[in-house]
Amino acid sequence: MPETHTPPQICSRCILPVTFPGIKLDEAGICNHCRREESLSTKTADKKEAYRVRLDDLIRGIKGKAPVYDAIMAYSGGKDSSYALKLLKERYGLRIIALTFDNHFVSPAAMENIKRITDPLGIDHICFRPPWPFIKELFTLTATQDIFPAPTLLRASSVCTACIGIVKSLVLKTALEMSIPMVAFGWSPGQAPIQSAIMKTNAALIRQTQSAFINAFPADIKGRMTHYLLPEDDYTQYNDRFPHNIHPLAFFPYNEDRIIDELKGLGWHAPEDTDTNSSNCLLNAFANQRHLERHGFHPYVWEIANMVRQGVMPRDQGIEKIYSEQNSHMVQYAKERLEI
Amino acid sequence: MSDVKEKIRRFIAENFLFGDEEGLKDDTSFLEGGTIDSTGILELVSYLEEEFSITIEDEELIPENLDSINNIEKYLSRKKGDAGRME
Repeated sequence: MPETHTPPQICSRCILPVTFPGIKLDEAGICNHCRREESLSTKTADKKEAYRVRLDDLIRGIKGKAPVYDAIMAYSGGKDSSYALKLLKERYGLRIIALTFDNHFVSPAAMENIKRITDPLGIDHICFRPPWPFIKELFTLTATQDIFPAPTLLRASSVCTACIGIVKSLVLKTALEMSIPMVAFGWSPGQAPIQSAIMKTNAALIRQTQSAFINAFPADIKGRMTHYLLPEDDYTQYNDRFPHNIHPLAFFPYNEDRIIDELKGLGWHAPEDTDTNSSNCLLNAFANQRHLERHGFHPYVWEIANMVRQGVMPRDQGIEKIYSEQNSHMVQYAKERLEI
Repeated sequence: MSDVKEKIRRFIAENFLFGDEEGLKDDTSFLEGGTIDSTGILELVSYLEEEFSITIEDEELIPENLDSINNIEKYLSRKKGDAGRME
């Protein structure tokens, strides 16, 4: 078990620290976000059921109609995307293709887990791996500078934001080119609020999103980054093909221990070489440490606090995830590879 | 400032900026400024539907309607105008 250091003063109900921007603790030590949630939580169970019905309806309308695949899954090999993949395959019998973005820091154990999940579920899998010099430059830049707007960095580190931006783009490009009507993500209930769990995308919205992402990069890296984003032609050529994005873990029952048990039944093993907040990435510990040093709060704290607040994660487990020391070996490993 | 703009501003500040609304102007692009990503747009939509008793269709989820406080106010105004004409 990782060593947990003494946390700063934190909300007595969730785990947000007093260093988190905009937080206010009341006399009982409870934060403004927990107080706001009190008025919303009674509606949550009904909403989750409504979203399950919406997904059932959506899938009824699209299943079997696309040329080859009903859905593409952004698949890291970690526990959440593995579980989402299993859920979509077993509950709905979808024809799924899984896409993994190999950022050169995927744990070898996660790569093995990918095979252990996709093979028995009968899921086609593709792996996309940009050249190391580009990746090294990208992660060196984002580990040493905050290039994204401040609000973005409340929810994720610069490194993760860059990586996820490419992932989102790659799965969307593939969906458009292969006429796949649904893009699935394994985001936890803390990452994806339920209101955003099913969304029909469109060209105008994606164009603006991609523009915001690419414009964050300095000119020398921007040109190479455009390879991974949607080319301008796609917006007109595939205008009627923009898929639904879904985040099923936002509204299906979520329990980390149960998820891991279920995945073990397929042969998935929890990697031992990743940090407390990732089950696939060897860069995450370093990215977390850099974010903590620069901003004074952990980049996963908003997500984990949401899960504690929603009751899908015990508070002590959340504290362990957020307030444990970053694994020094993992931090050193990433620094050496990036030559920082 | 109109009541509609103030409500939207308060929602954005509380839910996406965690109380820090410095720099949030009426014409600030939520997407370009990193305030909201394409996922967060639906949180905003859910709020607008409840607060203003409207239904926002999939094809209306475009920056022109939702990407700034000004855009939302104009969109709501058009929407209410359309609803008024249909009654």
